[in-house]
Amino acid sequence: MSLLQISEPGFESPVSTHRLAVGIDLGTTNSLVATGCGGRVEILPDLDGEYLLPSVVQYRKGSPPVVGEKAKAAAVADPENTVISVKRLLGKSATEIKNSDTVGRYRLDSSRDEKAPALLTANGSRDPVQVSADILKALIARAEDFLKGKLEGAVITVPAYFNDAQRQQTRDAARLAGLKVLRLLNEPTAAAVAYGLDSKDQGNVVVFDLGGGTFDVSLLSLKKGIFQVLATGGDTALGGDDFDNVLAEWLSLQVFGGKKLDLGEQSKLLHYANQIKHQLSDLESVELSYADWSGRLSHVQFSTLCEDLINRTIKTCRRVLRDASKSVGDIDNIVMVGGATRMPAIRAAVTQYFGKPPLTHIDPDRAVAIGAGVQAEILIGNKAANNFLLLDVNPLSLGIETMGELVEKIIPRNTTIPVARAQEFTTFKDGQTAMKLHVVQGERELVSDCRSLAHFELRGIPPMVAGAAKVRVTFQVDADGLLSVIAEECSTGQTAEIQVKPSYGLDADSIEQMLKLSHEHAHEDMELRALKEAQLEASQLMEAIDAAIEVDGGLLTKEEARVISSAITELKQALDKESSGRIHEQTEKLNKVSSEFAARRMDLHIGKGLRGESIDAVDQSNK
Amino acid sequence: MQKISQNFFDLFGIPESFTVDLELIGEKYRDLQAKFHPDRFAHADEQEKLAAVQQSSYLNEAFDTLVSPIKRAAYILTLHNLDIEHVDQSELGMDLLMEQMQLREALDGLSKDESAMMELSKLKTEVTGKLQQKQQSFSLDIDKGKLSMAKKRFYEMQFLTKLLKEIEINEEQRLGY
Repeated sequence: MSLLQISEPGFESPVSTHRLAVGIDLGTTNSLVATGCGGRVEILPDLDGEYLLPSVVQYRKGSPPVVGEKAKAAAVADPENTVISVKRLLGKSATEIKNSDTVGRYRLDSSRDEKAPALLTANGSRDPVQVSADILKALIARAEDFLKGKLEGAVITVPAYFNDAQRQQTRDAARLAGLKVLRLLNEPTAAAVAYGLDSKDQGNVVVFDLGGGTFDVSLLSLKKGIFQVLATGGDTALGGDDFDNVLAEWLSLQVFGGKKLDLGEQSKLLHYANQIKHQLSDLESVELSYADWSGRLSHVQFSTLCEDLINRTIKTCRRVLRDASKSVGDIDNIVMVGGATRMPAIRAAVTQYFGKPPLTHIDPDRAVAIGAGVQAEILIGNKAANNFLLLDVNPLSLGIETMGELVEKIIPRNTTIPVARAQEFTTFKDGQTAMKLHVVQGERELVSDCRSLAHFELRGIPPMVAGAAKVRVTFQVDADGLLSVIAEECSTGQTAEIQVKPSYGLDADSIEQMLKLSHEHAHEDMELRALKEAQLEASQLMEAIDAAIEVDGGLLTKEEARVISSAITELKQALDKESSGRIHEQTEKLNKVSSEFAARRMDLHIGKGLRGESIDAVDQSNK
Repeated sequence: MQKISQNFFDLFGIPESFTVDLELIGEKYRDLQAKFHPDRFAHADEQEKLAAVQQSSYLNEAFDTLVSPIKRAAYILTLHNLDIEHVDQSELGMDLLMEQMQLREALDGLSKDESAMMELSKLKTEVTGKLQQKQQSFSLDIDKGKLSMAKKRFYEMQFLTKLLKEIEINEEQRLGY
């Protein structure tokens, strides 16, 4: 029997010129991976046919991380070692994590720096970048198993409102997972692509993206294949999770009368709240029953509980429209993205504000990944770009600290990227050779109210009298929304050396170190896998020979039986040594010395078989 | 690609003038970005990629400058080698300063709650009207080569633009943005 190549309906096997690239939606609650197959972009399922990979990772002592559905199931029983919603931790300080973590879910490693926190797990300290990398690795494995090849690149989506540190950490996570990032793409922009590609639509589109943990609104102008973001706004600390929390708090009050609960009970209650929220997307009201308490919650009651959260989303829409100098009447379409937009209360609020119902025909969980997949296909060169282009903006103003802790804005928010702005600085003292720059991100006037991005130290300025040296500093934001800084002394044309100290997360050296470690582990993992495979192969062969000797041992001479038996003994010794190379060698030897025996058995059994059947039957079976 | 120091008007292939066709600029901008955006160089080596980032940035800068009346005016003046950074009080004129003071007083005198929305809207219309007049004068002065007059108009435009921005911030504060 020849092997049939089995493929999913709707997928075409990749042709040789096809380069493997994927779009990845690295979500707070769930992650997805999409790729181009036969001219279309499809979400890739896992072996069980599931498309969503829960963004949950469980760490157990001495074993590889468990990612996805299994880890999600473990979150209730083993909350201490199971990391959920890690996306919310990217680019945050230890204090920020503690303050936002009302249920005390995250245990932080106290030995770590305040600005580069890590979580304690049964398998040691894990940095949010590492946890994100573990989720990415699971997605890469899914894609590579499915596509039967190595990925050459990926487009990874991030919330439009992610700041530089959060973007940088997403990139670092990809690096750690061994993935080449073709582009970081803003989630609402990706969703607009998923919606806009089929239609030749022109006009203004608002993307309302309420995910598990982040909220983004973008206003795009579509013209002849070019998607230009006019303005974006959002809240990286608002998402579907918050609706769960509000409901869980309400339930806690009803069931336990506001008594303080342990982590296990809170996880259970949160899980229950999440189920109820989902049911309320389809039902007018839901019967509640928790422990020995029972009750009822209507969809209207739930909307009232969440009123503040809903109002926050509409307020952001107003801000974005104003930033783009558009009014509600200028908007042609509203696109809903993110699982949390299934809530009827959200849809109703959006319909009311824009005066027209939003588009919801693409699964809100999948739109972002599909858009990322389209962009990946174009960037890797599988699909002609034609006039297709995404022009995005920087979501937050970039500025530098000036005298009196004030912020001087260099690149205002909603500036189309890539963008470069130069600023001239001069020395303050005679002979000054170095200068410090503090770059911040945010809209406020005071440095302390903005997000610190990095401290730049310029060295090697030629010594001159105060005010004579002119240092031209160029702030460059690339298409991924990442900042880099170039400094040049104008009178001498000398490039100043820049040292960057990111304010949050790890510096380049620590990332490099992590990368090295992960490569070492990858090597260990590979060896372990080779050993397991060799062991399996060896024991299967020995079992087969043992069984054969039992039946047909009579076919062997004494000498032949001795040779085979000694080869088996040697293989068993090799198995004890746990070296895959040695096991391979001995397996090969056993194979060789037993091949004549196998051939004789074959002859014998085929002969027997043929004698038992009519010639016709044999002919039939050959057809 | 065109040289990175190229004149913005040449870059977009339009005549150097304060009066521009925004629709046309938008079209040219999109055509140029479609060619030079870094996404078109995803395969290229690091040096080409960096060049694409710089070219695309320059294009964005040019577009941003040409579509904004105040930035466009400033750019035209610098093309005529006029220094607009350093202002001599005498260049501004007493009339301009008086008018500015009156408008600012009107803005500061408004009540701090939503009841001022009507007044803000009226003030906005007034300032917008004045700004449009100054823009027309600027355009005429530039076309006739009256550079020092144009420079004075530019300062007037700058004042009014800043004031307009402040009126908008005032509106936003009262609307609870």
